Order: sequence, then structure tokens, then C-alpha cells
Amino acid sequence: MSEVNPGMDLVPSTRVDAASRAVVATIRGEIDLHNSTDLRGVLLELLSKHEPKRLILNLAQVPYMDSSAIAVLVESLQKIRKIGGRIFLTDLQPRVKGLLEIARLDSIFVVAKDEADALSKP
Amino acid sequence: MQTTSARIDLTIKSDPAEIAAVRKAVEETAAAAGLDEQGIAEVGLCVNEALANVIRHAYGGVKDRPIVVSAHCQDEGLVVTIRDWGNGVNPASLPPRPYDPLEPGGLGLICLWRMMSHVNYIPQGDGMLLVMKKRKPTPPAGPKAERP
Repeated sequence: MSEVNPGMDLVPSTRVDAASRAVVATIRGEIDLHNSTDLRGVLLELLSKHEPKRLILNLAQVPYMDSSAIAVLVESLQKIRKIGGRIFLTDLQPRVKGLLEIARLDSIFVVAKDEADALSKP
Repeated sequence: MQTTSARIDLTIKSDPAEIAAVRKAVEETAAAAGLDEQGIAEVGLCVNEALANVIRHAYGGVKDRPIVVSAHCQDEGLVVTIRDWGNGVNPASLPPRPYDPLEPGGLGLICLWRMMSHVNYIPQGDGMLLVMKKRKPTPPAGPKAERP
């Protein structure tokens, strides 16, 4: 995988595997209305630039997100579905997991234990 | 601005950058009120969502309008009030629409209805007052006293 640096605290690292058309992005920090537009910009750019078949978002360092962050994830999901791709969410923290369940999105995104699990899923 | 663990009174601007600090201050008060970890997290999220609704909808995204947030402990739990001087639209009076997880909007209010024990939007003539309450978890019943 090749490393890409988006240059943001919110998304400190991104790795791209051109062969499997997978993009792994590490997201860091609490996400609410203040910074969800930043996340939106990064994710939409990743999708348009790489057109991945799987976008893997490592949320191990995201202890909290609100509905504006959920809206960004849903918009990204709509985009990637148009190119036949899927979004994998890994390392969910309790508050994030709880909100995804309330939003009834825990079965719409692919939830994986960690990055390796996401990469190994069919 | 006055802050104590048992009561907070905050006046902020309608700037999304303010949300996180208010959420955390209310969570501290929720802890002081005796809520458990899940209850504290739910109160924090609901305060976040209510403030975001004020900023986006009541104030239309304008960042320099006032919002007053108060939280205090009661015997039963926590009371949070959020006062704005926005468009006065009562979110509770909007026609309900079926929730679609793949369509934007509506999740914030769902959180309020599901997570808080009491939610009441009170029109003020020059804005809106939101009153939310969260009850403490009921302690498990102790062992019955033995007869002498």
C-alpha cells in the first residue's frame, strides 16, 4: 500500500492499495458540526481520486461523533455505491457504535473489528 | 459565565466551534447529577444535537447569535435548558416523516426523543426554550429485610 498524507489532524493518514482498489483512512478526534465539513471534503476527495471498491475508515481514535458526521458517512456511502464500492468502519468506539445503531446504519455500513478484518472480508 | 459541577449557566455564540465545550460541561453536570456512563453520553449527544439544530435551523447558520444553556441537578436527575432567539420554529410541531437512514436529517431529533426522559419545546415569542430532562437510573431493589 502507498501512503498518502492528507495533511490534516482529522485524517492523519491514508493508505491506498491500487491492486485491490482499497483505501484505508485513519480518522482522529471528535467529530461534530464544527469539523464534519472537513471530514466530508477529505472523504469525497478520496472517493473521486481513487474510486475505491472498499473505503476502510479506521475509527479507533474517534471517541465521539454526532449526526452531522453520520450525514457525511451516509453521503460518502451514496457516492461509493454508484461505483460499486462499499464502506467499512473499523474499531468502533462505544459512543460511535451506539449512534450508528440508533441511526440504523450498523447494518448498512460494513462494520469490521479492525483493518485486517475489513481487508479480509469478501 | 458561571460553572459549577452541580449547575452551569453558559452564554455562547451560535458558532459550531462552541458545541464541544458546552457538551462536555453539561456531561460533567450530568455526572454530578448521578447519571451513569450511558446516561452521561446520551445527555451530551442530545445537547450537541439540540445546539446544532439551533445553529443550523433557528439561526440559519449565522455564527454570532446568542444561545443560553443551563443545566442543573434535581433529585430525579438532570435538567437542561437551551434558549435561543431564532426563528421560533418548533421542531416538535413539524409534520413527522418516516425516518430513512440513507436520507439526511432527522437523526438529531430522534436522539432527543429516544434518549431524554422529557423533551419540551416552549415558544417564547422571540425565540424558543427547549427543556430536556434525564432521569437517573433506578437503583436495583435491595434484599428484603428479614423478619426478626
